[in-house]
Amino acid sequence: MAPKVLLVICASSIYGLFVGSIPGLSATLAASLLIPFTFFMDPISALVSIVSMSAMAIFAGDIPAALVRIPGTPSSAAYTQDSFALSQQGKTEMVLGVDVVFSAIGGLMGAVVLMTSAPMLAEVAMKFSSFEYFWLAAMGLSATVMVSRGSQAKGALAMTLGLFLSTIGVDITLGYPRFTFGNVDLLNGISFIPAMIGVFGISEVMRNVMQGATQYSIPRVRAGSIFKGTGKLFIRYKWNVLRSGLLGTFIGIMPGAGADIAAWLAYAVSKRASKEPELYGKGSIEAIIDSGTANNSCLAGDWVPALVFGIPGDSITAIVIGVLFMKGLRPGPMIFEQHPEIIYAVYLSFIVANILMIPFGYLAVKTSSQILRVPKNILMPAILMFAVTGAFAINNSVFDVGVLGVMGIVGYFMEKNEYPIAPIVLGLVLGPIVEQNFMISMIKSDWNLGLFFVRPISAILGGITVILWLFPFYATFLERTKKKSSLPVQ
Amino acid sequence: MGSKDYVGAGIFIALGILIFSTTFSFPILDGGHPGPSLFPRVLATFFIFFGGIVVLQGWRSTKVKTEESPEEEGPPPNKFNPILVIILVAAFMALAPEVGFVIAGTVLLAILMLKLRVSALKSVIVSILLAAFIYTVFAKGLRVPLPIGYLGW
Repeated sequence: MAPKVLLVICASSIYGLFVGSIPGLSATLAASLLIPFTFFMDPISALVSIVSMSAMAIFAGDIPAALVRIPGTPSSAAYTQDSFALSQQGKTEMVLGVDVVFSAIGGLMGAVVLMTSAPMLAEVAMKFSSFEYFWLAAMGLSATVMVSRGSQAKGALAMTLGLFLSTIGVDITLGYPRFTFGNVDLLNGISFIPAMIGVFGISEVMRNVMQGATQYSIPRVRAGSIFKGTGKLFIRYKWNVLRSGLLGTFIGIMPGAGADIAAWLAYAVSKRASKEPELYGKGSIEAIIDSGTANNSCLAGDWVPALVFGIPGDSITAIVIGVLFMKGLRPGPMIFEQHPEIIYAVYLSFIVANILMIPFGYLAVKTSSQILRVPKNILMPAILMFAVTGAFAINNSVFDVGVLGVMGIVGYFMEKNEYPIAPIVLGLVLGPIVEQNFMISMIKSDWNLGLFFVRPISAILGGITVILWLFPFYATFLERTKKKSSLPVQ
Repeated sequence: MGSKDYVGAGIFIALGILIFSTTFSFPILDGGHPGPSLFPRVLATFFIFFGGIVVLQGWRSTKVKTEESPEEEGPPPNKFNPILVIILVAAFMALAPEVGFVIAGTVLLAILMLKLRVSALKSVIVSILLAAFIYTVFAKGLRVPLPIGYLGW
């Protein structure tokens, strides 16, 4: 690995640790603010910076969870209560040590699965035509809606908004300008990067400045002893680690589901399988081990559909796909043949970043009280300035700064009204893939919809997608039937 | 879920209707098949359909009396600050091409910091240093042609 790339990994790791440690700032925000810099890097440096940043940010989210009961990123939310409860019992060092070590183990497990499964899946994907790609993208979007928190209808609306934004500009069939209203800047469509920085970055700044500055009371951490006893815990919970690591990676491979869902699912499975379920929520180290392993292993899993099919596994890999397109690279099976150096760089950076997590994590824990004291009333204006400059830098366009502002407003109000915002970005990325492959398939099949179910893989993917579409209706029907049957008979 | 969902869902339904009506002016493919209008029409249908579901869910939830959520700890939220962020972004768009990145950036940062109760002296010093730092990183380091204005270097 070139010294320059190693330097990029170290710098991105520190950045990820910093952002992840600050409550209210997510790994996705960190990734979106990193893009303007990746724009000026070579493809390998750009990708490894995102890998190392996201791995560190997901781990670092555990630190404020343990110290002040606020998850640094949504991925740590599942076990925040347990981390804080143990911290209150005077076991802060043990919790943080477990966070560092098991995050690294989870990340390494995910990396191994990525390295073994991605090339195999890429060979299968070589046989894919527009029919399969259409279903795969549709399945990814459907899964995104299915796993969105709260109302699935709201998730579907957010996804539709992202898809609609992707239709703005010149269309692919006749080159007709759609929804541009005579504006020349809109002919090339909504620029993905400013839109995404707006949705995640500006909306987060807007939310944070509304709340004002927060002072945390932070317990003293003796960083020197954080790794004491983690070896014994590993031996005791080795099967939990294996189960959660595999579960997290599998969740990651599923398009649309990210690290936070992996952590929640691992938590639920862990509680069900545990001999001490009564401790969950009151300070269970087992819960922290399981969920912490799962959310970090999920990160590498998320890269599988992104690299193999060009379908993002979560919002961070949606950004990765945007970066790949920005670099003139098309994610998909061909990238494994045409640019193997990029694939190997991603593999290697997952390994290096997760090994580096041990010393870097130790340093992050050691400096955690200082990081948590960074004044938000200075940090938020700084993030705003970086976001504005980053949006401008992509195309040197003031119009893009406008896109950033508008998308910031959209993201802010949608979150305020309990609409998930990640589906907007996934819709924006997958929109052209869905439309292009649908139109190509329709023209190829002479407008015969039945051909979408003729090819075997296409039929399987289509079947799964249709089941995903019908599931919410079936679940509602089931719930009503249950309610009716539980009513007392008069 | 509640009455506020009517407004949000209403906006999406209206957007769906607007998209649908706009697509009638789009050209069609040979053989009368829909071309550029097909995908937007599907999306318009989604907006109307899912918007309707959200309205229905909101109507149902208003019928069920929900427990009041406890008041959040901490200072009361400042509702003007998010609006100020957008005003500052718009002001930056208007100002930067004229006065340059450094001045426009310093003004944006200083106003927001002052509003967030950072002391005047600290706001000014941090804003100047931060704007200069970002300018140096992007304009000198990454060679982004940021607006020079009166103070570019």
